[in-house]
Amino acid sequence: MQLRKASALLIPMALLAAACGGDAETADGGGPVVVYSGRSEELIQPILDDFEAETGIEVSAPRYGGSDELALLLDEEGGSTPADVFISQSPGAVGFLEEQGVLAELPDNVLALVDEAVRDDDKRWVGISGRQRVLVYNTDQVEPTELPSSIFDLTDPQWKGRIGIAPGNGSFQDFVSLMRTQVGDDVVAEWLDGLVANDVQTYAKNSAIVAAVGRGEVDAGLVNHYYNYRAIDEDPNHKGLNHQLAVDDPGSVLIVTGAAILSESDNKTNAEKLVEYLLGESAQRYFADETFEYPLANGVEPSRDIPAAPFAEVGTVDFGDLGDSLASTRELIESAGLEG
Amino acid sequence: MAVSHGRVPPRWMFGHAIVLAAAFLLPGLFVLIRTVGLGGDLVETLGDSLGPLGRTILLSTTVSVSAVVVGTGLAWLLVRTDLPGRRVLRVLVVLPLVLPSFVGAAAFLAAVAPGGPVHSVLGVIGVVPPRLSGLLPSWQILTLFTYPYVFLPVAARLLAIPPSLEESARLLGRTGRQAFFEVTLPQLRSAILSGGLLVFLYTVSEFGAVQLLRYDTLTRVIYSSRLSDRPTSFASASILILLAVIVVLVERNVRGSARVNERSERFTPASQPLGRWRAAAFGAVGVVILFGVAVPVSSLTVWAWRGIVGGRVNFSRLVMPAINTAFVGTLTAAVAVAVIVPLAVLVVRYRLRSSSAISAVVIAGFAVPGLVIALSLVSFAVNTPGVGWIYQTLPLLIVAYVIHFGAQAMGAAEDAVRAVPDKLRESSQLLESSALVRARRVDAPLMRPSLLSGGGLVLLSTIKELPATLLLAPIGFRTLATEVWGSYEDGRFAQVGVGGLVLISLSAVLTWFLVLKRSEAVVAA
Repeated sequence: MQLRKASALLIPMALLAAACGGDAETADGGGPVVVYSGRSEELIQPILDDFEAETGIEVSAPRYGGSDELALLLDEEGGSTPADVFISQSPGAVGFLEEQGVLAELPDNVLALVDEAVRDDDKRWVGISGRQRVLVYNTDQVEPTELPSSIFDLTDPQWKGRIGIAPGNGSFQDFVSLMRTQVGDDVVAEWLDGLVANDVQTYAKNSAIVAAVGRGEVDAGLVNHYYNYRAIDEDPNHKGLNHQLAVDDPGSVLIVTGAAILSESDNKTNAEKLVEYLLGESAQRYFADETFEYPLANGVEPSRDIPAAPFAEVGTVDFGDLGDSLASTRELIESAGLEG
Repeated sequence: MAVSHGRVPPRWMFGHAIVLAAAFLLPGLFVLIRTVGLGGDLVETLGDSLGPLGRTILLSTTVSVSAVVVGTGLAWLLVRTDLPGRRVLRVLVVLPLVLPSFVGAAAFLAAVAPGGPVHSVLGVIGVVPPRLSGLLPSWQILTLFTYPYVFLPVAARLLAIPPSLEESARLLGRTGRQAFFEVTLPQLRSAILSGGLLVFLYTVSEFGAVQLLRYDTLTRVIYSSRLSDRPTSFASASILILLAVIVVLVERNVRGSARVNERSERFTPASQPLGRWRAAAFGAVGVVILFGVAVPVSSLTVWAWRGIVGGRVNFSRLVMPAINTAFVGTLTAAVAVAVIVPLAVLVVRYRLRSSSAISAVVIAGFAVPGLVIALSLVSFAVNTPGVGWIYQTLPLLIVAYVIHFGAQAMGAAEDAVRAVPDKLRESSQLLESSALVRARRVDAPLMRPSLLSGGGLVLLSTIKELPATLLLAPIGFRTLATEVWGSYEDGRFAQVGVGGLVLISLSAVLTWFLVLKRSEAVVAA
């Protein structure tokens, strides 16, 4: 068959590719640390490179993917997983793995690096950066004076048909889960019903909302704060601007990205060093300056016009509850008539 | 077992078919075991998801019908008429298939939304396009992304059936239209049905585009509950697979066992002059290419251009992924065709019932979401003694691709086997004793157009595959699809634009050199 001939030509190139790809993996405990990362390459690789350079501990090329998919993968792999460290974009995915009992306990000195509000009560994972929930709005279509101070204002007739949400997205669901722990299920259900009654517009994900707000398709939307910075970097004419709701409003919660170590890891000492490094000053500074997130450790301050981390004010929220409460959160969202 | 022609197929073909059946049944078995193991309730889940299921069926049905019309029409225009520029157009019309659906849909949305190229153009004439959401845009956009599943096999079939049939019909007094409907169309029946079935199954499993277009289908239930409510997620996947199996069986019934005289021979295709319809035909092809290719490409270009101007585009990091993508796509296509053809021989030439059942399984496999296929292979590789070594290697990734896309080679392979008439085979057996020589001299030239079209479909699908690639690829093995996805997730649209354009260009080049050029070589021979 002709296809075979053609592929024969390509084989040497692919062998080269495999060689460059570097799938080095040694059986002994002290080998390279294997990372599964829900954070994309751009958001994590530079830190991993620094870690290698500073400590001499090798980190193999991470497996990148969606946090939820990687969590499912780790669950299927079970005891056979090659992974040592899991870095998640959302508390939901680490919560799921904690429930499956595949995460190891983190050492106290690592956990102590962050506020107790952003680490797991059972010591199975630790927050490494935060994303704040904000209202992004179109500067042409929303007057600064009419901006609300609470998400509960969004059910007012004034905002009818003007608000975008992403009910099927993990970050919205994490936010609703947190909101439930703060104000209770009945209030959350009433708020969701109010949104639906107010003709809320639904989108697939945060980035879709930010794009829609930028082009004026909806006037404002509930998103994680950093998407808008990316959008401005991509397009200087982008019309979206972040508005922070009142610091004690459920709409202002901080959603953490987390790191965890697999209980099956045969490289725990190095894995712990890596997690500790993610909470070190240079990594935290990277999260603040390069990815526009909230640093969580070592007193590093957020950059740009991002206000100081508000999690001290909402510190009573137990992020550890998030994983196992996701199912009922989804039910709440769906019973409001939104596609969870 | 009923054996036709009083001959028994070679024993290795049976063994091969059993291995294929086992491999293609794996995802379904996995879903079933997980559903039962997690305590999923099929009846309850079905009751809760009637709405999404109904929308899945509605969308898949409407998309298949329109894709059949568009794909068949284009194939006829670009193979059988004197339409100017048809050789270039043949490459262009295949391209909508190659964008991962989340990129294609996002690019389409951005083009039509305020500030996008389409919106700006329409704005000049005072038209404001509405926000794309729901059934209508989902139907339109998925039709544009899927008609190549019909176009490629039908065009291949048109290249293999002699126009002399149509010509004699016209000599007998039929009009051009009558000749097409009465003579040519029946010859295309199996290619159209298998292409339409692929479109249906693709739409059933589609998630990226319907998610962005906010059309709530069964895949949404599977995805949104994948972590939070796994019993529901797996039960929904079971329902989806059941739906796929039913539809495949229905198609088998509709197709029936009656075979038309699918006589094939070498010929020079006579192009039918379009005359005064030429402009209209050109316009119709143009509209499809405009919406299927130009609109998404315009968005990708805008994104890429902004990035290039701002110096935020990294071309060099796309080189390795492009090589990997071309390699793994080509290899998968070759493997898929090689493993599927023997099964097609069993189905078509020996008409074994059991082999027909296996081919139904192969085809239904196309509806299984890539994530499910990937997880089933993970489970298989880590839990089966002795096969652990294959985990996270290229061979396992290719197995996943073949399971996912083997269906696209199945219909084409059956067409290819049918293209060699029994009489020709029998006479060639008398004249030439070496099976290998016969295969090369007699079978290969007749089978080639269909096999290339099937392999081409597998190639293009593999190139854009994402979920299985992310989970199963050897660590560090990056493809263009994973690159584009990573950039998209980060909101780095400039890099998405560049990656998407490279993906399209690579697909065009591969489609031309590996599929279309070689199909034409048959004609020229």
